[in-house]
Amino acid sequence: MELLLTKFVKILKKSSTALIFLLPGLLLFTVFIIVPMIYSFRISFYDWKIVNPEQSEWIGVENYLRALSDPIFRRAALNTVIYSLVTVPGQMILGLIVAVLLNQNIRGRTFYRIMYYLPVITSWVIVSLLFEYMFSGQAGLVNYFLRDVFHVTSENILWLADPILTFVPIHLLGIWKGIGWTAVIFVAGLQAIPQHLYEAAEVDGAGSKEKFFLITLPLLRPTTVYLLVVLTIGSLNAYISNLLITNGGNPMDLTHFILTLMYEATFTKLDFGYGSAISYLLTMCVFVVSVFQIRMMTKPIEN
Amino acid sequence: MKSRKLFVFMGAILALSIIMSACAPKVEEQAADVPTVVDESPAEVETITEPVMITYWHTMSDPETEQIEKVITAFEAANPGITVESTRFAWDDFKPALITGIAGDATPDTARMDIAWVSEFADQGALMQLDGVMPGFDDIADGTFSGPLSTNFWQGHYYGLPQNTNTQVLLWNKEIFDAAGITDAPATLDEFATVACELTKGETQYGYALGGTYFWAPAPIFYAMGGEVVDADITTASGYVNSEDSVAAFTMLTELFNQDCISPNLLGGGIGTADGHATGLYAMIVDGPWMVDIYKGNYPDFEVNFAPIPTGTDGSTSSVVGGEDVVIFEGTENADAAMKWAAFLLSEESQLTMAEVGVIPTLSSLIGNEALPDYFGVFLTQLETAQARVPHPAWSDMDNAINNAFQRMLNGDQTPQAALDQAAIEINALLQ
Repeated sequence: MELLLTKFVKILKKSSTALIFLLPGLLLFTVFIIVPMIYSFRISFYDWKIVNPEQSEWIGVENYLRALSDPIFRRAALNTVIYSLVTVPGQMILGLIVAVLLNQNIRGRTFYRIMYYLPVITSWVIVSLLFEYMFSGQAGLVNYFLRDVFHVTSENILWLADPILTFVPIHLLGIWKGIGWTAVIFVAGLQAIPQHLYEAAEVDGAGSKEKFFLITLPLLRPTTVYLLVVLTIGSLNAYISNLLITNGGNPMDLTHFILTLMYEATFTKLDFGYGSAISYLLTMCVFVVSVFQIRMMTKPIEN
Repeated sequence: MKSRKLFVFMGAILALSIIMSACAPKVEEQAADVPTVVDESPAEVETITEPVMITYWHTMSDPETEQIEKVITAFEAANPGITVESTRFAWDDFKPALITGIAGDATPDTARMDIAWVSEFADQGALMQLDGVMPGFDDIADGTFSGPLSTNFWQGHYYGLPQNTNTQVLLWNKEIFDAAGITDAPATLDEFATVACELTKGETQYGYALGGTYFWAPAPIFYAMGGEVVDADITTASGYVNSEDSVAAFTMLTELFNQDCISPNLLGGGIGTADGHATGLYAMIVDGPWMVDIYKGNYPDFEVNFAPIPTGTDGSTSSVVGGEDVVIFEGTENADAAMKWAAFLLSEESQLTMAEVGVIPTLSSLIGNEALPDYFGVFLTQLETAQARVPHPAWSDMDNAINNAFQRMLNGDQTPQAALDQAAIEINALLQ
């Protein structure tokens, strides 16, 4: 025991300089991230009274059970998972195509890179409203093209009035906005692949198809897994586009994401316990998914 | 070794300075709070001359904010020693701001909040009871319209005063009516239904449009048809939200929708009622007094025409009460000054100042006052019969239950009767 203690003190002494420099950041992180996290974990077990917290009633895991048996929550979870399943591969496949194109020696390469990156830096609020207008049932650009230009449909499609069609603009927006960033990360990954591998493959008579599937793709695996983790976490936390386009779950609370439901429970209905429980359920999901994905990342690349 | 020590020292200073700076403003603030008056004879003099600053949060528009500053100036002139600091919030941020204020013990002294929130905040224990506490409360309350006043009542007490009110009336596009040879707005809801279909031309023109399916949108017609949400004591919705009259109101709207006489925009993702009405897409909409200012800004050439909500089967009109109440937060250290400010906001003087920019007063003594804009007339008349939504903390959930019921009817999933029967069960659960 004493040995352990002296060892600990030794480590402390050894890293004291680093610790002191870390202290300000650590302190802020503790005050603004860790403490609220623990506090909201506590709230999630109460029927929390925001004005008089001392009157809050301990109800155990009831908030969690309520969420799991609530059809609105289940639908929100399903919507969120579908959003992940659609937008993560969507961003990655399109991002990879763009990255491969941008990695070649084409004229105006910088221009294209900027163009593809532009959606990333636009404000979520503005582009969400823009997509909402484009998909307006009565005066939207999309309906105009479908009806008057391509004659695919004879009647206006009420995109935002339908609990399934509403996700068309939301998914498209999620993919469109993420391609640029995904492509930039892929470009970095592509440039890290040693050129001599391609040259050697060419000597062996490999075509561009073989080169892509046998060299590029396997060597991009760390990048791909990194993107998979980050994009999945991002998509599970999707919030702004849904809140603005569905106006908080319209129609009939069928179009919520987990986070829009959490926001509504907490800040519209003042049900802080329920809201905290929802966010902890989401945290658990994100945690499990991330651990699983990071396991994949740490596997070594096979030759 | 020496440089290492220096590093450690610098690091420690840095860490300390950050911790200190976090505390600093508070220290300064406290110092500033100490009265600057040189007090030779302490206690007594201090209580009289110590300046009091009360805070007032609101969500007013640009012209309203300009006007309220005038009211504040007048109040400060009449009450030396009291200053009012007003803070304006965006509508969407207001409730979270108030809640975080309550949670962090940083509430304002007073605020102007939506009438539908008062019971909710009162139920949380956040608001100060005014009846029996505020000097002259009964007189002030008696002078206000009963509909708006009732929104401050929760479990036997009043937790606010109606600062301004509004209601919805019918807006009819005269150009469309003239083109169809109809001279006047419909007087009864039967006429309304006929006219709505007469003025519909496929997708290029709809007789009537609602902003959405949330209760506020169909509420005027619902109340005019004799619809009710719950009983007077707020104990049950059975036999009220699914009563014959309530069902008849929603049946009429659903039928009009099925005949395409109501624009599909109410289901979401269409052209808004304000734009559609001014551009000739929607012949009739139901909306509030703020439309005058909105149209002045966006469609200066558009002629706005108001009419009372058409009468229901028993020949009487009704509508829904909107507006805001002034409330004082529990735990304020400046309760006396805050009550003076609330009383001042309810004075004829301030109500008339605010009326200049389209804010409808809550004092019945101002009916017919010449200083009020002409178009207030129809709203003030409508207010006499307008009804407040259920003053209950769970109102937003009740609203949602009716909203979803309306959606089910419009989608054809349920008949109005079945949808409202289900809504009654859901609302009853909220009243338990």
